Amino acid sequence: MEFRTRDYAAEEASSSLPRSPTDDHPLLLRPSSNQVSNQIHLHRLIDLSASNHIVRIWIKDCKAQGDFLVLGESVPGRRVDVVELKRNDFDDPLRRQTANEKDLVADVQGAAHISKRGLFSYYYDPHISQKEWGSFKTSLMQKFPASKMVSVSSISGVIIKSAKANEKSSTKVHIEELNDPQKFTEGEVKVISWLEFVERLRELKDEIRHAWGADDRVTSLKLSIKVAKLLMDTSVSEFYPTLFFLVTDVMDMLGDMITSKVVMSAPMPKKPVITGFAKLAPYMNFFHECHFVAWWAISYLELAILHCSRFLNDQPFDSLHRLTMMMRGLADPLASAYCRVYMARCAMRLRQYDIGYLITCFRDFKIILSNIILEKDSKSGDSLEKRKQLIGLMEPAIGWIMKCVFKGPFQHYLDSDILWCALPIELRRQIEDILMEFGLGTTPSDLCGNLKCISIVVHHLIEELPAEIVCSHVLEIIKLIEGSNDISFDQYLNFRLLGFKLYEVRPEGELLDAIIGKVLQVINDYDDLDSYLKVADAYFDIVLQGHMDSYLAMILDNISRRTCGRDINENELSSLQSIFIKLLAQHNDLDDLFVLKHFVEILDVLRGNTRDVVNMHILRKATRNACICEPAMIQFLFETSQALHDGIDISNMRDDHQQAVRLIIHFVEKVDYGAALERHLTFLLECRGAFGRIKDLKEALVHCSNCLAVKAIKDANKHSGFVKSCIAFSEVTIPSVPANMMQMNLYIETAEVALLAGLVSHADGLVDSAVSCLRDLFQADGSQVTVDINGIILLMQRLFSLLVALPGNPERGAVHIPKSIISFCDAQPWITPRMRTKFFCSVVTLSAALSQEKLSYHVNNEEVPGNDLIFFGDPSYYQELMSISRSVLEKLVDNIQLEKHSVARGNIALEACNCILSSFKASDETLLLCSKLIGIAKSCSNPSDKYLRSTINVFDKYSSALSKNLPVISI
Amino acid sequence: MSIVLKLSRSSRMYRPNELLEGKIIIKLNSSISHQGIRITANGTVNLQVRGGSAGVIESFYGVIKPVHIMNKSVEVKPSGKLSSGTTEIPFSVVIKEKGKDDLERFYETYHGANISIQYLITADITRGYLHKSLSATMEFIVESEKDSLYNRPMSPEMVSFYITQDTQRHPLLPELLSGRFRVTGKIPTQCSLLDPLTGELTVEASAVPIRSIDIHLLRIEAILVGEKYVTETSVIQTTQVADGDVCRSMTLPIYVILPRLLICPTISAGPFSIEFQVSIVITFQSELSKLQPKADPRTPRLWLALETLPLRLFRSE
Repeated sequence: MEFRTRDYAAEEASSSLPRSPTDDHPLLLRPSSNQVSNQIHLHRLIDLSASNHIVRIWIKDCKAQGDFLVLGESVPGRRVDVVELKRNDFDDPLRRQTANEKDLVADVQGAAHISKRGLFSYYYDPHISQKEWGSFKTSLMQKFPASKMVSVSSISGVIIKSAKANEKSSTKVHIEELNDPQKFTEGEVKVISWLEFVERLRELKDEIRHAWGADDRVTSLKLSIKVAKLLMDTSVSEFYPTLFFLVTDVMDMLGDMITSKVVMSAPMPKKPVITGFAKLAPYMNFFHECHFVAWWAISYLELAILHCSRFLNDQPFDSLHRLTMMMRGLADPLASAYCRVYMARCAMRLRQYDIGYLITCFRDFKIILSNIILEKDSKSGDSLEKRKQLIGLMEPAIGWIMKCVFKGPFQHYLDSDILWCALPIELRRQIEDILMEFGLGTTPSDLCGNLKCISIVVHHLIEELPAEIVCSHVLEIIKLIEGSNDISFDQYLNFRLLGFKLYEVRPEGELLDAIIGKVLQVINDYDDLDSYLKVADAYFDIVLQGHMDSYLAMILDNISRRTCGRDINENELSSLQSIFIKLLAQHNDLDDLFVLKHFVEILDVLRGNTRDVVNMHILRKATRNACICEPAMIQFLFETSQALHDGIDISNMRDDHQQAVRLIIHFVEKVDYGAALERHLTFLLECRGAFGRIKDLKEALVHCSNCLAVKAIKDANKHSGFVKSCIAFSEVTIPSVPANMMQMNLYIETAEVALLAGLVSHADGLVDSAVSCLRDLFQADGSQVTVDINGIILLMQRLFSLLVALPGNPERGAVHIPKSIISFCDAQPWITPRMRTKFFCSVVTLSAALSQEKLSYHVNNEEVPGNDLIFFGDPSYYQELMSISRSVLEKLVDNIQLEKHSVARGNIALEACNCILSSFKASDETLLLCSKLIGIAKSCSNPSDKYLRSTINVFDKYSSALSKNLPVISI
Repeated sequence: MSIVLKLSRSSRMYRPNELLEGKIIIKLNSSISHQGIRITANGTVNLQVRGGSAGVIESFYGVIKPVHIMNKSVEVKPSGKLSSGTTEIPFSVVIKEKGKDDLERFYETYHGANISIQYLITADITRGYLHKSLSATMEFIVESEKDSLYNRPMSPEMVSFYITQDTQRHPLLPELLSGRFRVTGKIPTQCSLLDPLTGELTVEASAVPIRSIDIHLLRIEAILVGEKYVTETSVIQTTQVADGDVCRSMTLPIYVILPRLLICPTISAGPFSIEFQVSIVITFQSELSKLQPKADPRTPRLWLALETLPLRLFRSE
């Protein structure tokens, strides 16, 4: 048996592919024509002036010349014919909205007329309104969860005991009530659970439905009135919104029942007015005659059937207006607010849309709210807290009605992509009229006068107004906010909301300057840090994007003035956090931030989680650059990381903690002191001390120090001492790396570096450490099943390839390392046959490589001789190599047989066979061994398996070489 | 065996110069013979005296002889036989004889406390002495004739009113007197029966919180007994305008739907008269009110302020 001699240079030349240089990178991105058409962003714009509804297609962001293209050219196969637009059957998905646009144009031209009261009427989609109502309901129910117990006064006797006082005439009841209020207000207040209450209400609902179904209209109407009367009880105010929805549910049901009755009984579609009237009139009369029961409970019923009252007259808005006025008679602010909500909701179910009555509602709200606000803490008045609570309960109602106001005209404006200036002048004027109602769009002189708005109304106004309109009236809005500073809503929150709205539009130039200047001037008077921060936060983006450095400085100055020397609470911290994140997001370079006055000062104020979050942002920003070179910056980031590190709770590794860990590691990797290698090493040393709790960092430190060593090696001047210290650093650090595999990897890496530096004995020691790591790995993880076998095999192969270049130690024997691995393999019974085979093959390959007269590679250092030089012509060296190979080969077949899994067995047999074929000259011994291995493979794998067949081919060539007694040159 | 009257209009509303049409529906198990089927239309003003300004003696008389408006009888079928099953016999009655100028007599249907004006139609099947005669009665409603519509100004006459502590003729709570209050408004003194009573009301000031504001619709029925009129005022309907202490200087609408049948055009006939009033009653919050027993809402109380105005009702197109 003899090792094959190899001529690596000739082998490489014969098997490498011919190469030719190229100019282009094959993976370089080149724009294709398809991409261009995909990138086209289509924007529709309706030319309203054109009467024949020609739709122009605006192509924005198109890189092609000219910005007006015909769609047919860019999307082949979908020709757009302008004439075709008029047809309904044309179903180009890109233009699905054509029908709506037609409606819109028709609406804009036709329906948007000013109704006889000078009000606005629009078509309104009932489905959307239903959906919106549903979501409003859900949000409100969540906002005011019903308390467990409800106290029910005897007014809601229907809940406790239904239908007992029926015999009394309703007039009598009311009069009794007036004369004897005690009985009604101070009568026994029963407490029932909320669930019982709801259950009872559901029963009532069923009763009403059954009575109606059984044609007993009077009973069902009477019960409905009773249900509506429940809303008179506002004593449990937190329960009121829930109660409101429960009751309106019943009202809606009743309304629908009456409607279906009226509509169904109207036989001819053309005559519902006459027939419907006859059918509906009795209900209306019934309700009105019941007015003395609880007139505004009746209003609920009247509203419930409002949408079918279009059969009665063409102007259901007449009754709507009357009801709006009548609601003024309801003194309880909560009850009246919600009554108006129901009115707005019912009005939305009408086919038309009118906001005149809503405007009246707002005028009334203004009076009611100012009464509440101005009410002094007198003996009759409620305390400030109670009043605030009351306004809080009314707030959703105001919001909802405000939403309704802006539904009609603005919805059209928002739904379409029409530009403001492209709107027909009529519509524009109407929108302006609405704005005027709220004190916008008037001349400045008017504004200074008596127009004092309620802050909560202003809030909802800003919330509902489209951003463009907010922008165009922004100075007036600021004045409005300035003028409305009352208990109903904090002024600063209005400023904040305005800031967010403006951010959507991003005003520019002088206007922007004026806005920010004005707002900052107003909020400058706020002593409270929290409110100042909330407002500043909202405008921060605008300030940053407008590059308004003076304002930025002003804000920071103000913040620092307010933060200095006081405790910061959680709210303020979160605002500060948001401000810092915005600052960081806006600046590409951290250096720019440090230039800012007060930046570091305010940063130091942060604490706790906020501080961590900001620190993480800073680190993320810093590590985005290629490297961090500046010592001052490195020092700052180091401190930042240290603060972050101190906050990490190792025992509880949450996601954000892991992120922090990653960021710190990333930072350490990015640090680069350039030529100051010593300083860099010191830095790594500091890191190791400072971030002791981050285990994963050690790995990065070792990589960095190895990297430093390689740098030093390349730089011939600073060679020996520094490299040694780097390697020493690595050596010392590796044992604290948690995973054995990682340790082993690092040992090998460091050994490679040491070898490169010519430190052979160091490299020897490191390789030994790597091997002992392997041992530890198995000792430690022997019981575990989840050992990464492939990883270990790869690592071992890496180690073996290092051994080729590592000079053998004549004292310990040239092959003592492979030997120790083999003996280790033998000693460990649980090493899998596959793993062992791989190790054995590696040993054989290594021996074959070492036996060559000229090694396949050397260390790139003249001071380190290869084994080919050290043991040149030493027969004992070759014998040793051969004996170790033999010892391995002897065990090989038996070992392979141990593999239980047949396919794996076949594969490793083939691998071993290939290894032998490439390592040894053909001889009877090897042929016998190989044929055994092929036999195993054949018994295990499919005969058509490619690996098997190619191995058999090679084997055939190999055996024929033996018969010719010629050396095999290539396989 | 049943007999039912059915009029041509479901509302049962007719004008004096119109034909009262309808049918008699007779359902029989077996055929019967009869001695004629008659329809009788009858209109009367029923008067009774009780309470009010009536004295002991007048009260003793109680019911006063009714005033007859009409009494007309028509034979719709001569004597004969009715077969078993359902038989429908149409009929028509002239309410007012043509040429006769006694329109004034046809008062509109009205149901009040002491006076009620009622029109009835009765179907009778006479069946000899051995059998009980079959009959059915139904009320029909008469409204003033189109021709004789009141040629009053169509726009209701509005009057302004104001209620303060000084306009009250009854004692008030001391805090009301010292605190002062002022409620102003407009309300019509004439109103068409078909239209709602609409006006407005504003609480301009009130130191004492308001509990409720109500509009009472009142009727004043006067009956000639002997040589003097006995009058009685009663509440027909109460409509609440405000509930609770409403905002000051906010205009509240007054909107009262007049109840059908319980009202009629204002009448001043010889033996009786029917007039109406509207009363605005402000109830103030007061501890005292809780201690008092119930009483007529018109009784002036310490915590009430009221203003009563006449209301002339008329029929218009």
